[in-house]
Amino acid sequence: MTPEKTPVSIPRPCNTENRTPVSQRLNEDEVSCRMAEEGVMVKVVINQQTVEVRARTTILEAAKKINVHIPTLCYHPDLCVAGVCRICVVEVVGQKALQTACSYPITEPIVVHTSTPQVRRARRHILDLMLSEHYGECYSCVRNNNCELQNLAKEYGVDYYRFGHVRQPKYVVDSSSYSVVRDMNKCILCRRCVRTCIDLQEVGVLEAINRGDQTKITTFMDKPLMDVVCINCGQCINRCPTGALRANDPSDDIWAAIDDPDKHVIIQTAPSPRAAIGEAFGLPPGTSVTREMNTALRRCGFDRVFDTDFTADLTIMEEGTELLLRLKKALVDKDPGAALPQFTSCSPGWVKYLEHFYPEYIPNLSTAKSPQQMFGAVMKTYYAEKNNIDPSKIVTVALMPCSAKKFECNRPEMAASGYKDIDYGLTTREMAQMIKEAGIDLPSLPKSGFDEPFGEASGAGLIFGATGGVMEAALRTAVELVTGLKAEQVFENLVVEPVRGFEGIKYMELKIPQVGPVPAILKNLNIPSWDFLNGATLKIAVAHGTANARKVMEDIKAGGKFSECHFIEFMACPGGCLGGGGQPIPTSPEIRAARAKAIYAEDESLELRKSHENPHVLKIYQEFFTEGPCGKKSHHLLHTHYINRGKAIV
Amino acid sequence: MLESERLRLSKEIEDLAAHYHYQRQGLLPILQAIKSKHHHLSDFALQEVARLLSIHPVEVYGVVSFYSFLSTSQQGNFVIRLCRTISCDLAGKDAVARQLENELGIKFGETTPDGRFSLFWANCLGMCDQGPALLVNDYVFTRVTAERVFDILEACRRSFGVFALEGSNIIKSEAAVQSNLKTGVSVESGVLSTESLNQGLKNALAGAPEKVIQIIKESGLKGRGGAGFPTHVKWELAANSRSDNKYVVCNADEGEPGTFKDRMLISDYPDLMLEGMTIAGYALGAKQGLVYLRGEYSYLRKSLQKAIDARRAKNLLGQDILGKKGFSFDVEIRLGSGAYVCGEETALIESLEGQRGEPRNRPPFPVNTGYNANPTIVNNVETFTMATHILAKGPAWMKQQGTKVSTGTKLFSVSGYCQHPGIYEFPYGVTIAELLRKVGGEGAKAVQVGGAAGHCVPRSQFDRVIAFEDIPTGGSVIVLGPETSMLEVVKNFLEFFNEESCGQCTPCRIGNAKLLEGVEMLEKGACSIKYLRELQDLGRSMRLASKCGLGQSSPNAFLSITEHFKDEILGKVHAPAAADKGGARL
Repeated sequence: MTPEKTPVSIPRPCNTENRTPVSQRLNEDEVSCRMAEEGVMVKVVINQQTVEVRARTTILEAAKKINVHIPTLCYHPDLCVAGVCRICVVEVVGQKALQTACSYPITEPIVVHTSTPQVRRARRHILDLMLSEHYGECYSCVRNNNCELQNLAKEYGVDYYRFGHVRQPKYVVDSSSYSVVRDMNKCILCRRCVRTCIDLQEVGVLEAINRGDQTKITTFMDKPLMDVVCINCGQCINRCPTGALRANDPSDDIWAAIDDPDKHVIIQTAPSPRAAIGEAFGLPPGTSVTREMNTALRRCGFDRVFDTDFTADLTIMEEGTELLLRLKKALVDKDPGAALPQFTSCSPGWVKYLEHFYPEYIPNLSTAKSPQQMFGAVMKTYYAEKNNIDPSKIVTVALMPCSAKKFECNRPEMAASGYKDIDYGLTTREMAQMIKEAGIDLPSLPKSGFDEPFGEASGAGLIFGATGGVMEAALRTAVELVTGLKAEQVFENLVVEPVRGFEGIKYMELKIPQVGPVPAILKNLNIPSWDFLNGATLKIAVAHGTANARKVMEDIKAGGKFSECHFIEFMACPGGCLGGGGQPIPTSPEIRAARAKAIYAEDESLELRKSHENPHVLKIYQEFFTEGPCGKKSHHLLHTHYINRGKAIV
Repeated sequence: MLESERLRLSKEIEDLAAHYHYQRQGLLPILQAIKSKHHHLSDFALQEVARLLSIHPVEVYGVVSFYSFLSTSQQGNFVIRLCRTISCDLAGKDAVARQLENELGIKFGETTPDGRFSLFWANCLGMCDQGPALLVNDYVFTRVTAERVFDILEACRRSFGVFALEGSNIIKSEAAVQSNLKTGVSVESGVLSTESLNQGLKNALAGAPEKVIQIIKESGLKGRGGAGFPTHVKWELAANSRSDNKYVVCNADEGEPGTFKDRMLISDYPDLMLEGMTIAGYALGAKQGLVYLRGEYSYLRKSLQKAIDARRAKNLLGQDILGKKGFSFDVEIRLGSGAYVCGEETALIESLEGQRGEPRNRPPFPVNTGYNANPTIVNNVETFTMATHILAKGPAWMKQQGTKVSTGTKLFSVSGYCQHPGIYEFPYGVTIAELLRKVGGEGAKAVQVGGAAGHCVPRSQFDRVIAFEDIPTGGSVIVLGPETSMLEVVKNFLEFFNEESCGQCTPCRIGNAKLLEGVEMLEKGACSIKYLRELQDLGRSMRLASKCGLGQSSPNAFLSITEHFKDEILGKVHAPAAADKGGARL
């Protein structure tokens, strides 16, 4: 029973080949590609230092190797090259005009100067021009002290506005969306958001329109963000160098709730913020500060600090059971309406993406709410009852790595208990800001645990933060419930390697060698035995980033190999939640890898690493959701439905 | 929109998309077709197009908003575009503009309440020698006077439907536009003769493709568009690229203000150009040629298509050309939509691919990674014409004229303050003084060589020569008379660049806005020398740091005029807020 990892390569669906303008892809010409493939090394002289690099390395990358700093703005390690801001210009000897280091691929020996008088003057001019158009009110900007434009101004010693400065905002701020606020007065037209939205995520909400001095970034027909197909993933925010894009910040309302003695304010914290919030306090990426953060949240004034991992465990029970029911429906009842593969529904960005772009697959989406929403529902019912608190006095705050969670908690259907499941979605960045505002130095705080009873959770819930985590958690549980074996017997050290890592699409087959008895917790499901699964091969896949999700969906539509899957995990953001749109800025592949490492390390440090072994989960099924997973009550409170939104923009 | 209208529109778009194989490369032609039929592109239409080409609606919106001939707002049945560029300005476009506004009762940028007329400015229609010029839909009117405005509008009013114009006597574009060809200075080179037509192609096919490139190399032919890049280098690099799909693109997006010689070549000598493209196709091993014809010249499309069809019928295009087994080449016309920057070769390729016309990063160069990422050469109409002659007459013919570095002769488009505006042929190396004598412009105060992106040469430097080694040009010569306000000239150019910059790179997008602001300060007599120097410095940075030729050359006029005409522009109050001078947005 060895999991097999097969490499996946899917051609892009027809005629989207040219979606990314060739100009914005880095040099793909045949000659230099061949050189790169053959590993040809080229000598470059940068500021009198010689460095040997592989053919097709850019000047920027080569300079980095020898610690020569070249400023950048429109460049981003996650995105295709644009070469539009021009701040990274350098002199390439023999070329009349200056060249952009970010876009210039080295294919022959060249001599480069990065700090000639001409270069410095050009850069300063470019900066002066940007500042002349940037309606920058640094004090009142969310990116104050974390702004690439501000940093450059400092680096270049800007002490006056050479070409004047805009005194009045030109554009109305678009705060129509629950998640993303667009203030184009601060936009410097680097187009990172456009490349994020169109190329990286393939959602296609933002684009440059007009030309010349009328150029701006906007939505289809300039419509408010809430009226277009934005999925709220917030990846554009993470890549905006200025404050032109930011999340819709509810912290004032949260402070008001905290300050109101009548309110019982509960905060739940998702797995990813704890692995990243330290970055906002100067700690290196990948520093886990779970327990310091707990202390900080209490000191901020939250009445209870709970762990979202608890409902992540609950999600595994509900979603996993739902999958087993679908499998039975398909294999035993031969019901064509079983809607396999089942898709995960924890990522609200992905959910909205599907509602817009593939609404015909809504039946495939697990009806289980996301952990955030389950938590709210449990708080305002079970928790309120048990602790004798009026649910209308409970304020539920969700600390999330995500901007789409703000939209999710405002979905009207998310209030089955009669109360809004979650009142506020708060991003990691906003939480860090609140902690700072309260005068708390997070890294130096004493450690403390979560509050009981929703404090103890499994490592399975924790790894929800990384791409593949939901799948790994589900497998740890499903294997035990179905085969009766210990998950450790199947996965060494409980690590499901094929679903880990940052490959865009991961695929795995798992043969079920034996089946055990149906465990007690699932006795209400009307499944007498697992015999129908004996010897079956479970096919699963994991995709992160909606561009990859799109590939999988197109393959399913075409009846390809993913249409034969049973269960697919989709996350809207590259890297999964740890790369979410609410996480500290900046982001890069390295930063995301460090955060993932922190999450997996914390999982391994825990005793409890399987969702179904979480004692509080078992208890809630005994005391409250007495019919077990996917029972009537859990259906009412823990499951939801979706909306066919379609692509049409009206 | 009614459901039935929606369905009909949907069907129309479906047919168009099918015609272009649902490929993004068909985006521009599809949008052009919908626009010309429905006079605007609705939300619904944009989304339908996006759906059928599997691209995002916002991308289609981005493309539509980029090109001035496409529009998301409803326009009249008759769209009138008056040229506001310098030559037409000097020829008196202001009176025509006012009269248009008076007759129609609307301002520029507006549509009449009955939905029949829309009035816009246009940037250089390429009729500089016979301005003021205006376009009514696809029809060109030249030498328009305030008085004629009434007749033109009446002809439109009396006609039924858009096509009715075609039969009308007053509107015969081909007749209205004069070739205006003048004899050159002692040159009888035969560039504009079709005597040896197809001899060049025959000679080329008689030898190996490498031989063709060798002959072009010996002739010293350099790109006639203005940049002066050696033609054979481009051809050779593309020929050496290993690819089965190569493209020969003819840049007929003659948008540089004051340039109109390609217009004449396309209307009067299309065969010379097409033959040159075919020769290039043979040299490169390309099967497909594309002519990117600027939207303003759409009236030439029919005659050019006729020429292509005729050549196909004579086996000068198509399969096994002139019996040469295995050599197939054909030419397709693609229409621009009103964007000057698409004359830049990589922007042109982006436009062909259905994108916003934004220049690409280089390297890689189009010879490697051009149209659809295939090896592509982009050459000017005149370059292909010259190649035809060189192949017919041999490289020595070319070297009889011109200088050592700049061989051969060049076609010039002369307009502005001179007695005989028109198209001239001069050998490279001609001095400005000589040129002015020939065109009857001896009294000039200055000459703008190379269009808005070119250099302004003051009288004191009229002994300089026009050649790649001194003053390069794509052929535009605008003569500026003693009464011409130099500030007005530079303002006109900067307004042009502010509208025509693609807007992607910082130095060009904001830099030109700052230079224009500076000129407006100078107009008011309110610019310090310190600030003027800052702006000149900025101009020099723009030359170095902009992404493409447009941005790199846009400060040229500003720099040369503020350098040479300080006395005229400093400390004086110019042009008190006069009536609309056409500075309004297009």
